Amino acid sequence: MDDMDRKVLAALQHDFPLSQEPYKVIAEKVGTGVEEVFKRVRALVDTGAIRRLGASLDSRKLGYRSTLAAVRVADGDIDSASAAISAYPEVTHSYLRNSEFNIWFTLIAANEARIAEILEEIRLHLSLDSDDILNLPVEILFKLDARFNAAKTQK
Amino acid sequence: MESILSDLEKRILAVLQKGLPLTLTPYRDMAGEIGIEPEQLLEVLRRWDADGRLRRIGAVVSHVKVGLSVGSMVVWEVEPDLVGEVGRTLASFSQVSHAYQRPTSPSWRFNFYTMVHGADSDEVDRTVRQMSKACGVKKYCQLHTKRELKKVPPTYIMGR
Repeated sequence: MDDMDRKVLAALQHDFPLSQEPYKVIAEKVGTGVEEVFKRVRALVDTGAIRRLGASLDSRKLGYRSTLAAVRVADGDIDSASAAISAYPEVTHSYLRNSEFNIWFTLIAANEARIAEILEEIRLHLSLDSDDILNLPVEILFKLDARFNAAKTQK
Repeated sequence: MESILSDLEKRILAVLQKGLPLTLTPYRDMAGEIGIEPEQLLEVLRRWDADGRLRRIGAVVSHVKVGLSVGSMVVWEVEPDLVGEVGRTLASFSQVSHAYQRPTSPSWRFNFYTMVHGADSDEVDRTVRQMSKACGVKKYCQLHTKRELKKVPPTYIMGR
C-alpha cells in the first residue's frame, strides 16, 4: 500500500461523495485522475483491504429497533442453539464468547414487539429460564465510530 | 411502532443494504435496479444524511489489513451515578470504536460496553488496563470471541 492508496482509502472511509460521479470528486480531492482512483479502489477490494462499500444507517431513526442479546447454554447445546438463533434473518451477528453467557447476538427488527417475540421464541425453543437470556438494548450511546462497523473481533 | 418509511424509501433501503456496486456510477446503477432516476436516489440519501438516518457511506476496511487486527468486547460494572463521567472517559480512548450504556438484569451486572482495538491481544490488554486506571472501574471483563457464528451486514426486514 503506497501513499496514494492510503489517501484513496482515507477519502473512501470518510464521506463517500453523494454525487453521480463520486470517484471524480475523490480524484479531485486526492489530486489524480478518476481512472487511477477507481483502479486503486478495485485493487483495495481485491486484496481484501476494503471489505465492502456500504451505508451505515441509524436503524432507530429509520424506525427500526435493534438490540444486543445473549443466552447461556450448556456446551453440548451450543451448535443447536446457534443454528436456531442464526436462522432468524433479523439476527445480523452472533458470536460464541468465553463468558457465562456464551452466545451473543445482535438483532434488527421493525419494532420492539418483534424483538421481544423473537427472544421469547428462542427462550422457549432452547428451554431456557428467563434468567438465562439477556435483552440489552442501548440506553445511551457514548461513541460509535462507523468506520469500525465491521471490525473483526478477537479470535 | 411500525416502519415510518415511504414505499420509495423502502425500495432505496432494500438496494442500499446490499452495499454499493463497485462501478464508476454506483448511485446510477442502484437507481436503475429499483427503477428510479439517480437524482431521486441522491435526493433521498442527502435528506437522510441531513436528518441523521444516514450516518455515512464509505468503505468498510478490514482491520487485519490496516494493522488493527484485534477487537475485543469489554464490559464494565459502573456505579449508576458515575456512568456519565466514566462513559465519557472510556469513550475518549482512540482505541475504542463503540461505547454504550446498556441495562442490567439480576443475572448480569455489567452496564457499560466498549469495543477496544489493537494490533494484537497484548496491546488490547494494555489498553484495557489503562482504561480501567483512567476511569477507576475495577470490575470489568473481556468477552473474548471463541467463534463467529453468523455475520451479515445489517439487514432491514421489510413489510412486517
